[in-house]
Amino acid sequence: MSGSDPETLEPIDLAAEYVLGTLDAAEAEAARDRIAASPGFAAEVRAWEDRLMPLTVLVAPVPPPEALWARVQASCALDSPAPANENRQGWWRGTAIASLALAAGLAAFIALRPAPAPVFAVLAPIGSTAPVLVAFGGPHGGIVVRPSGAIHIATDRDLELWALAAGALRPEPLGVLPPAGREILPVAAGTQLLVSLEPKGGSPTGQPTGPVVYGGTLQRTNE
Amino acid sequence: MPAYAAPPTDAELIARCAARDRAAFRLLYSQWSARLHGVAMRIVRDPSLAADATHDAFVQVWQQAARFDPSRGEASSWLMSLARYRALDMVRRRGREVLGHEPVEEEADQGPDPLGALLALTDGGALHRCLETLSEERRRLVVLAFVEGYSHSQLAAKLAVPIGTVKSWIRRSLTGLKECLAS
Repeated sequence: MSGSDPETLEPIDLAAEYVLGTLDAAEAEAARDRIAASPGFAAEVRAWEDRLMPLTVLVAPVPPPEALWARVQASCALDSPAPANENRQGWWRGTAIASLALAAGLAAFIALRPAPAPVFAVLAPIGSTAPVLVAFGGPHGGIVVRPSGAIHIATDRDLELWALAAGALRPEPLGVLPPAGREILPVAAGTQLLVSLEPKGGSPTGQPTGPVVYGGTLQRTNE
Repeated sequence: MPAYAAPPTDAELIARCAARDRAAFRLLYSQWSARLHGVAMRIVRDPSLAADATHDAFVQVWQQAARFDPSRGEASSWLMSLARYRALDMVRRRGREVLGHEPVEEEADQGPDPLGALLALTDGGALHRCLETLSEERRRLVVLAFVEGYSHSQLAAKLAVPIGTVKSWIRRSLTGLKECLAS
């Protein structure tokens, strides 16, 4: 597309070679400049990305280090306070239902150790190394449950914690989960901890009225 | 139990990122970080550099999500590209030789049909068919360049042909692929 190489008769397709990855540093820089300057060229690059990207299935996925998510969050300034309500209710509902599908297999474990070592738990969706909630032994023998990062919800909603005992049909309310987390009473191993999205102040009925967004079964690890 | 809604698409998640939705960003990270990291790792072949590339790619996702236009290309291509370009930049700037990456065993070349995995994909099937129209040498050249991130000189050394030949083969292969995929 842009000039030709004296060594061949074939003109170079800058967009194609940029995507293929065979340009040197200066050529790649020139390609990036053109992407910024020319919508037509940018469209060519996108087309080549779509053509060649299926080749990435030849590469096995490799989970990044656990700490990387925190680094990404810090770089994006995601540890600052969440913005005001942006009417995410619809989004949350969709996510929540998807999360419910994951809930059956949510990786949740709790390690109970003799005092003074704290108990702790990590709850993360399947396929994720990023914990959504963490729980650890509180100062009064209970378990503190809190988000491990920024979880934001519409300002007219609250997250509420529930405990569903093994074999029970109805969960017991454990109260609203504030952004900073809270301490709950110890619950038995085998109990499912659930988090639902509720109206401000918590469920008015004593049972979850909104979607269950996170959950997992507490397991006691062998000492 | 309520009926399950379809999970959000990647394009929807990227749009939510553009609207500064951190939950969407987190979900996107959980679903894509291992694939992006794998691709970066394959090119830079260094865990620390690969982590940098993956980090930079996701920062770009967050910062440039508004620029993503789903009508112009696949979300998956956009995401994977961010990690690939970062990784390629790193090896270009630092120089593969400095990193002591040669000789390298390219895993994509192993097995009777290393491209067989492409058949499982909707788009991959077409790419597989079109790669099959290239000679084995040129097909290998394209895969090595794309997957391993080899430069012209590395490809020339790998295939024991002059650099000019590598450039010529790549150009003709890309032209052939473009025509084949359009048909």
